[in-house]
Amino acid sequence: MTVQTMVQTIARTLDQEMARDERVVVLGQDVGKRGGVFLATEKLFDTYGPDRVIDSPLSEAAIIGAALGMAVHGLRPVAEIQFSDYVFPGFDQLVSQVAKLRYRSGGQFEAPLVVRMPAGGGVKGGHHHSQSPEAHFVHTAGLKVVYPSTPSDTRGLLRTAIRDDDPVVFMEPKRLYRAVKEDVPDDPEFALPYAQAAVRREGDDVVLISYGASMAETLKAGDALAEQGVSAHVLDLRSLMPWDTTAVLEAVARIGRVVLVSEAPRTGGFVSEIAATIAEEALDQLLAPPVRVTGFDTPYPYAQDREYLPGPNRILKAVKRVLEY
Amino acid sequence: MIRDSQLFQPFNDEPISLIGETGAWEGPFDLDLDPAALRGMYHDLVVGRLMDERLSRLQRQGKVSFVAPSAGHEGAQVGLAHALERGRDWLFPYYRDTSLLLAFGLPQVEMLAQAMATRADPNRGRQMPSHNGSKDLNIFTIASPIASHVAPAVGAAISMKVQGTGQVAVASFGEGATSEGDFHAALNFAGAQGAPVVFFCENNRYAISVDYNHQTGADSIAAKAHAYGMPGYTVDGMDVLASYYVMREVIERVRNGLGPVLVETLVYRFGPHSSADDDSRYRPREEVEAWKRRDPLLRFRRFLEKQGLWDDAAEAHLRAEVEASLQAATAEAEAAGPIPVEWMFDDVFAQRLPHLEEQRHDLLD
Repeated sequence: MTVQTMVQTIARTLDQEMARDERVVVLGQDVGKRGGVFLATEKLFDTYGPDRVIDSPLSEAAIIGAALGMAVHGLRPVAEIQFSDYVFPGFDQLVSQVAKLRYRSGGQFEAPLVVRMPAGGGVKGGHHHSQSPEAHFVHTAGLKVVYPSTPSDTRGLLRTAIRDDDPVVFMEPKRLYRAVKEDVPDDPEFALPYAQAAVRREGDDVVLISYGASMAETLKAGDALAEQGVSAHVLDLRSLMPWDTTAVLEAVARIGRVVLVSEAPRTGGFVSEIAATIAEEALDQLLAPPVRVTGFDTPYPYAQDREYLPGPNRILKAVKRVLEY
Repeated sequence: MIRDSQLFQPFNDEPISLIGETGAWEGPFDLDLDPAALRGMYHDLVVGRLMDERLSRLQRQGKVSFVAPSAGHEGAQVGLAHALERGRDWLFPYYRDTSLLLAFGLPQVEMLAQAMATRADPNRGRQMPSHNGSKDLNIFTIASPIASHVAPAVGAAISMKVQGTGQVAVASFGEGATSEGDFHAALNFAGAQGAPVVFFCENNRYAISVDYNHQTGADSIAAKAHAYGMPGYTVDGMDVLASYYVMREVIERVRNGLGPVLVETLVYRFGPHSSADDDSRYRPREEVEAWKRRDPLLRFRRFLEKQGLWDDAAEAHLRAEVEASLQAATAEAEAAGPIPVEWMFDDVFAQRLPHLEEQRHDLLD
C-alpha cells in the first residue's frame, strides 16, 4: 500500500498498465512533458517516450477519433480530455463512432479504449470547467461509464477500464483529485468490477445514494445525520453503466426511504433513472417517495459555485422530508 | 520503364490524366502494366457498375431499402484499390465506395447481404444499405456521419507508424466531407504526426444538391493540403490509370514514412445522391449527359481496344460472366434468410449486460 491522492493514483495506474502491456498508449493535450494539466500523466513521457505518450493537437475530435483508430489497429489507448466540459467537439466521435463500432460491424471490430475526463464543480471554474455530463454518455448505447470517488476505487476501476474490450468513459471528480489521501493497493493486478456499489456507511433509517464528486458532500451529510441520531446507509455507485441495481434495490427494500444525490442538473439526470427503477421495482417497499438532491437546471454558475452543488444542508433537508413523510 | 524519380507534382493546376477521351495513352512515361493487370482493372470497373445497377434494381423491387449509387466514381476507386496491398493496408471508406470495396476484395455476397440485411451480412444487419465493413479485409465498417471516419484512419495510421508495420491507411470521402470540422481535425493531427495515411477525396461536385461553389471558396480540395503540411494532388477520376499511377506513387511515398497526402479525384455521380433523392431538381440534364460521355468504363474500354486487348466479344463475355456471378451472389445472400430479432441485443458490448438481457427477455417473451 502507498498513501496517494486520486490524481497520483491515476498516473501510477497508467504507469503500471503501460509497463504490463505495451499496447497501452496515452494521448491528449499536454499529456507529454507537462504530464497533464492536473499531472494525471506525470512522468509517463519520461518513461515511455513520444510513441506511447502522444501530445495531440488541441482537438478533442482528433483525440477521440484517433484513439478509436488506434484501438481498431491493436493498441489500447487511454485518451485524456482536459475537462469533461471540452468533450463536446469529440462527442460525435464518441456517440457515432466509438459507441457503435462493435454493434454496427456485427462484432467484427471492437473499441478497447478509455476516455478519461475530469468532471464536476466546486473549483470556481464557471460552466466550462465544472459540468457533470455523465447522463449524455449513459444515454448512449455502447459506452460504459465509470465515476469513482476514492483513490483506491480509481486504481481498481481504471485498471478494469484499460483491460476492458469495450470503450469506457472514465470520469474523475477533479475537486477530489487532491482532497483525500489514502492507502492504495500497489498490487499491479488489483482491479475492481463494475456495477458493484460500495457501502460507505452502514445504516437503517435512510438510504443515501450518490457517486463521483458528490460523494464527499453525501458522506458529510451522513456524518451530520449520525450526530442527530439518524443512521444513514450510504451507497457509492462507482459505475453508472452498468450500475448496481441489486445493492440499490436491496437497501431500498430494507429501509424504505431514499435520497439520491448528484450535482448534475436535475432534469434527465442519472439519479432520475435510479428513481424510476426504484419506482418500477420497489414501490410497495417504499415508505416515502424517493427524493433527488441535484444541481439545478441552469448552466453551472460561476459566482454561486458552492450554492449550486448539492451540499450537506440540502441533503439534510431532503432526508428530513423523507423521514417525516 | 517507369522513371525512378517522382512522376507527378503536387498542387497541379490541371488534373492529372493519362488516357485521353478517345482512349489514347497520353502519359509522359511508358505503361508498365501487363495485359492481365489491365484487363483486371476493367473487370473491376464492370463489376462495380453492374453491382451498382443491381442494387438499384433490388431497391426498386423492394428488396433493398436504400442505395447510394456510385456509378461515375469507378475509375477513381478501382485505381486506388489496385494501388493498395490487399490484406495489408487499411481502408476507411464512405457509403459511395461500391467499386472500391469490391476491388479491394469484399465478396459480392457480403455487399448484397448487407444491402438486403440477411444472415450472410457479417455486419449482422445493423445498418442501412451501402454501409459495409470487413475485419478480415481491413475495411473499417462505414458510418453515415460525414467525415467521422477520417480521424479514426489517422489513429490507425499513428498505430502503424509507432509499431513500424509499413502499412498504409486510406480514408475516402466526398468533397462535402471537407467542410466538416472533423476533416480538418484529422488532417491536422496526421500532418503533425507524419502519419502514414492517404486522404482520398472523391469530388463529384455535389453534396446531395449543394454544389462545389457553395461548399467551398477554395479553387480545389487538394489546395487544402497546404495548410496541413502535406502534398495535395488533383487527379482526373474518370481515368482509372491516372488514379492508379498517382495512388501507386503516393502510397509508396506514404509507406516509406514521408507523411500523409491528400488526393482529390474529379469524378461525377451519374445517379442521384441516393434512392431517396431527385437530382433533376438541381442538376441540368445536359450536365449529367456531358459527364456520362466521359464515363470511366467507356474511356478505359477504348484504351484497351486501342491496345489490342479488347473487343466486342470480350465485352459480351465479361458482362455475361459478371452478371452470372452477381446473380449467384444475390441468390446466396437472399437464401441466408432474414436477421433474427434477438440479434438486436448482441454486440452492444463484448458481453450482454444484465439490463440488455432483461430488455431482450421483455421483447421476446
